[in-house]
Amino acid sequence: MEPIIRLQHIVKRFGPVTACDGVSLDIRPGRIKAVLGENGAGKSTLMAVLAGQYRPDEGTILVDGVPTVFRSTRDSLTAGIGMVYQHFTLVPAMTVAENVALGQEGGAWVSPAAQARRVTELAKRLGLEVDPMARVADLSMGERQRVEIVKVLARGCRVLILDEPTAVLTPTETEALFVALRRLAEEGVAVVFISHKLNEVLSVAHEVAILRRGRIVDEMLVSEVTSPAELARRMVGRDVLLAVDRPPVEPRQAVLRLSGVHGGGLAGVDLRVRQGEVVAVVGVAGNGQSALVEVVCGLRAPQGGEAWILGQPWADFHCRAPWQGGIGYVPEDRLGVAVCRDMDTVDNFLLTTRQGYSRWGWMERARARAKVVELMDTFGVYPPRPEMAARQFSGGNLQKLVLAREFARRPRLVVADQPTQGLDIAATQEVWRALLAAREEAGVLLVTGEVAEALAVADRIVVLYRGQVVASFAADDEGEVARIGLYMAGAARQEEAAV
Amino acid sequence: MTAEMLLPVLAAAVQAGTPIFYATVGEILMERAGILNLGVEGAMLLGALAGFWMSMATGSPWLGLAAAAGAGAAACLLHGVVCTYALANQVVSGLALTILATGLANFLGTPYVGLAAPGFDPMPIPGLREIPVLGPVLFSQDVLVYFSYALPVAATVGLSRTRWGLRLRAAGESPTACRAAGLSVARLRLGACLVGGMLIGVGGAYLSLAFTHLWTNGVTAGRGWIAVALVIFAFWRPGRAMVGAYLFGGVMAFQLRLQAAGTAVPSSLLLMLPYVLTIVVLAVSSRWGRFFGAPAALGINPEPSE
Repeated sequence: MEPIIRLQHIVKRFGPVTACDGVSLDIRPGRIKAVLGENGAGKSTLMAVLAGQYRPDEGTILVDGVPTVFRSTRDSLTAGIGMVYQHFTLVPAMTVAENVALGQEGGAWVSPAAQARRVTELAKRLGLEVDPMARVADLSMGERQRVEIVKVLARGCRVLILDEPTAVLTPTETEALFVALRRLAEEGVAVVFISHKLNEVLSVAHEVAILRRGRIVDEMLVSEVTSPAELARRMVGRDVLLAVDRPPVEPRQAVLRLSGVHGGGLAGVDLRVRQGEVVAVVGVAGNGQSALVEVVCGLRAPQGGEAWILGQPWADFHCRAPWQGGIGYVPEDRLGVAVCRDMDTVDNFLLTTRQGYSRWGWMERARARAKVVELMDTFGVYPPRPEMAARQFSGGNLQKLVLAREFARRPRLVVADQPTQGLDIAATQEVWRALLAAREEAGVLLVTGEVAEALAVADRIVVLYRGQVVASFAADDEGEVARIGLYMAGAARQEEAAV
Repeated sequence: MTAEMLLPVLAAAVQAGTPIFYATVGEILMERAGILNLGVEGAMLLGALAGFWMSMATGSPWLGLAAAAGAGAAACLLHGVVCTYALANQVVSGLALTILATGLANFLGTPYVGLAAPGFDPMPIPGLREIPVLGPVLFSQDVLVYFSYALPVAATVGLSRTRWGLRLRAAGESPTACRAAGLSVARLRLGACLVGGMLIGVGGAYLSLAFTHLWTNGVTAGRGWIAVALVIFAFWRPGRAMVGAYLFGGVMAFQLRLQAAGTAVPSSLLLMLPYVLTIVVLAVSSRWGRFFGAPAALGINPEPSE
């Protein structure tokens, strides 16, 4: 089959950095093509080129064999390319039908009823059922993604490009997405699936292109791939271990205890974290994870029930006694919450670690700087320049800085909220090792949307659904681990969640 | 109070509420597209002056109305351009527009203080005027008031049932979604500034061409600010804006009657009434409005795409 889109030697540079270094790629109808690559491999730049946001410095885009220049998103849409971004581009306050209509051309008048009919029809045909009159804000992430796909296809797009589409989905929703993608491919749509998750690529794609440092280094049919490890090696360019060592540690006294905590979406959470263990809280985003983290870190008062932190009642710990850095907090939003983006690393270090770095009310910047240099070395932060502003670091290095800062105080309770989100395999493993090292002295509460992450580092797994703990089990309990998808989707709960 | 006393107050309430109503609907259109315009007071004043001047120069209040709409649109487009292309802070730009326009209108308007221009006179509608209560209150007004009756329906239908309205709302809710759909947020927002600014200008012209036919400096007297507050009271819906505008019109008319009746309350206190009501309305409805109706990207300039 002739490719719909053919990229020929696409080069895109940003100053001295070459993000795409001669990428050639054929996108054919009826095929699901996975583009696999680590962070910084050039995936997002490639997407932006296809979406008409960036113009390549060199190379040609052929649409149906005709060289075409994309000047704007509109040109790319006209060529039949539809994007489903990781961060959805829907209007939450509008209905599904309105969102679909927004992307379409047509007459001056819009009839909600007719639009709703059209959406239902199309959605049914594609097997992506959505209620056209529902407000997007009321939909789950999986449903929103379906709306995005319907929106793009309603516009008549022949190429569907999905960026990390499973990041926000439950295992069940992921399976449903894959079924839909296969169906679309049968209908003749060209699907491009951008990911760094090896297993997903192997289960859904027909062919894989591996992007490394701005180049397609390998291209093969999925049927030719023998194992995920082989794929990982080709992606990273060296052998990677898909698991980290987990030395056994004997759990000691509890550093966090919640019983029946309510508020902010929590509906009676019981939880215990002991020194020496990693407790992973898994669940689909929006089931109370952020409220849980806020309560533990003192950003939100519990509305009922009891919370004990490092042996003290919540109010005593957070409101009265100076807590002296007993908690290490690794927030989900690295650039917005964890650090001040325009401050340098020394100031950011001092933000949460004043103890020991001030004398008579004066900050001792020189000593703090020396400490930061030392931490940068220990944690392998690149580039090791303390004067750089937080925002100038890549996601992985910034996260290492945050971890270094928080762990430098030797906290007894560590709260890590989605610590590896958006990080590549290498950086992810470093974060995991750091969390496991912290567990020697602290109890670690790890909030994650990734079951694989929980299995890799946690001693115990707790599933949160609609603000309640619906299951709690040891990470090596294979029977329960197999049921984790059911727990996350709310389809099952343990009789007596033992905490 | 008897019916004979009440009807004229109600009729005056509609009349006093109409300029605020025009300005509120204009501001709603702009805010639904994501442009917070604190320059309403200034744009209204420019509209009032342009309308008055054109009507006086040509003898045609209709040309005056067109000039007012043009002046209002020009002022609001200036604000729109500064915000969408220069990415200026919308609050600051809006305040600057009010300060600029107030100064300009006072400077240009001073020679005309006390002069009269041909305007719009009450034109009772035959038949409808005979309806008890509604006749004298709603249908014995001037033509600009009659036009305004169509505003809630026109604005609501325009926002909810036309492609333009859908896109305009998307520009105010999620510029990202707009961009992904291949639309230009800047163009949509400027379109809203154009139409909204015309309505705001007409609201101003109502003061100098229908409410009075005279020019006085500062004729808007804070009505533009009341309109900004009413947008929140109306939860960004044109229909509710009508209720709010007549409520304020009622308070303004009522305090005039009280003054005329010679109450013991000092007139300066009575003059404060509409503004006190503004604060009360803002305090009460802001609590709810933030969660209920405010466009998500109101006042936020999207970053340029490249």
